[in-house]
Amino acid sequence: MSDSKLSNSQEKDEKLGVVHENLQGWVPSMASDEEVRGAFEKAFDYRGDLTITLKDGQKIEGYIFDRRADSPRLGECIVRVLPKEGGRVTIPYSDIAALAFTGKDTAAGKSFEAWVKKYKEKKAAGEKNIGIDAEPLD
Amino acid sequence: MPVPVSQMWTVASYVVRQKLRRRKHFPVVLMLEPLMRCNLACAGCGKIQYPAHILKKDLSPEECFKAVDECGAPMVSIPGGEPLMHPRIAEIVEGILARKKYVYLCTNGLLLNEKLDQFKPSKYFSFVVHMDGQREHHDFSVCREGTYDKAVEAIREALKRGFRVTTNTTLFAGADPKSVREFFDEMMDLGVEGLMLSPGYTYDKAPDQEHFLSRKKTRRLFRQILSNRNKQWKFNMSPLFLEFLMGRREYRCTPWGMPTYNIFGWQKPCYLLQDGYADTFEELIRDTKWEHYGTESGNPKCANCMVHSGYETSAVNDTFGSLSGFLATMRATIFNRYKDPDVDNFTTTTPASSGPLVQISRSEA
Repeated sequence: MSDSKLSNSQEKDEKLGVVHENLQGWVPSMASDEEVRGAFEKAFDYRGDLTITLKDGQKIEGYIFDRRADSPRLGECIVRVLPKEGGRVTIPYSDIAALAFTGKDTAAGKSFEAWVKKYKEKKAAGEKNIGIDAEPLD
Repeated sequence: MPVPVSQMWTVASYVVRQKLRRRKHFPVVLMLEPLMRCNLACAGCGKIQYPAHILKKDLSPEECFKAVDECGAPMVSIPGGEPLMHPRIAEIVEGILARKKYVYLCTNGLLLNEKLDQFKPSKYFSFVVHMDGQREHHDFSVCREGTYDKAVEAIREALKRGFRVTTNTTLFAGADPKSVREFFDEMMDLGVEGLMLSPGYTYDKAPDQEHFLSRKKTRRLFRQILSNRNKQWKFNMSPLFLEFLMGRREYRCTPWGMPTYNIFGWQKPCYLLQDGYADTFEELIRDTKWEHYGTESGNPKCANCMVHSGYETSAVNDTFGSLSGFLATMRATIFNRYKDPDVDNFTTTTPASSGPLVQISRSEA
C-alpha cells in the first residue's frame, strides 16, 4: 500500500501482544521431561511468585528470574530463583518434585481498558486525582 | 544541536576506537536499572510487574559502579522503576559522573522537584523526564491524573537551576499525531534540550497487551509525526534512527548496543526482551545467542520491535562506520524538515485494536 495520503489509508488492524493464561493457583503435571520443560517456561514468564518443592521435601517460595534449558539432559537444565527470604538459588530441574503458581499475577487485570473503566466510575462518583496505584510493598 | 559537542566527540571517538579494534559486540549505552519499583503503575509498562520482595530490592552503588566499569560504555542511562525512589540514587549518579560517563537519569518527574537539591548540574548529566504527550494524553498513558502538571513544574525548576533536561515519549497505537506535534512545541517552548521518542515495545509482561504498534503502523505514525517538522524541534537522538522510524531506511538490530544491568544480572539479550540473565558482562556477550534475536532472526518477540535499544546503536554504527553513513547523518542534520506534501500530519490513522485511547480530562470531564 502506498504511504501517500496517509490519513485516508485503511489498514488491517493487526493483533499484537500476548494473551496471558490465568496461571495463578496452577499446579502443573511434571510427569514427563516435556511437561517439566513446558512448566518451567511458563514459570519463567509468570509475573508472580512460585513455590518449588524439591525431591528432598524442601519448599522454596520465590520469583523465577532465569532458566537455562538448552541441554537435552534434564539434569543439566537449571532454574534460578530469588527466594522471598532473600539470597538467590540455582536448582537443577532434576531435583524438583513439584511446582505451584502460588503467588499473585502482578499484572493481571491492569489493562488500559480496566483503567478507563475505573476512571469513569470514579469520575462519576465525583472523585479527583484519579489514578491506578502501584502495588503496596508490605 | 541538542547534544553537547563534547558528548558527540566522546561517543564518536569511542565507536571509531571499537571499530579499529574490530570489536563486533560493543556497547554504546549501559541501561542501568537500580530498582524495579515505581510510584506509577502504567498499563503499557512491562518493567514493574514483580512481587513485592523483588520490588523492594535495590542495586547498591558498588554494584552499579562495577557494572559501569565492566561494560565500559561511554553513556549510562538510568531507568527503572523510578530511579528517584532509590535511597542512594544521588551517590550512584555522582560515582558514575566521576568516571566521566554521560549520565541520563530517567524519571517520571513526580519526585524530581523534591530531589533536585541532591544533584549538581553538569554537562555530563541530564534528567530525562518521561512525557507521553500533552496533558490529557500523558495522564491517560501513565494512568494517573495530575502527573503532566507535576512533571512540567519539575522540568521548569530543573532548567532554572541549570540542569540539562530532555523528554522521553513512548507512543502506542491510537496516538494522535496532531497532539504529539503540539506536544513537541510545548516542550521546546518549555526550554528542554531535546526530545526522545520511541514506539512502545510489545512487552509480554505488560498488563496491557492491546495497544502495541506493528512495524507498519510505527513507520506510518512516525512519518506522520516527523514529516514537515517544525523548525524549533530538537531531538536528542540519532537522526538516522529517526529516519528508520519513519521508514526511510532499514537497519538490523544491534541488541548488545544498549545492554541492561539490574537486580537480576545482565539481561539477555537486550533492554526490552527478558530471555534470562548472565552474571557478568563478558558472559552476556560471549554466551548470548545473538543470532536468535532481531527482526531478521524470525523471533516473533522481535518481529515488531523498532525500539532505540536495538536500532539506535545500529544508526550510530552507520554514522561512524561508513562514509555514506556519515554523509547521510550530515544531510539529515542540516536538511531536517523532511518536507512531504503527501503526509497528513494531523489525522489519527493507527487505531487501537480494542477501542480508542481516550483523553481522560478533555473527553471525560
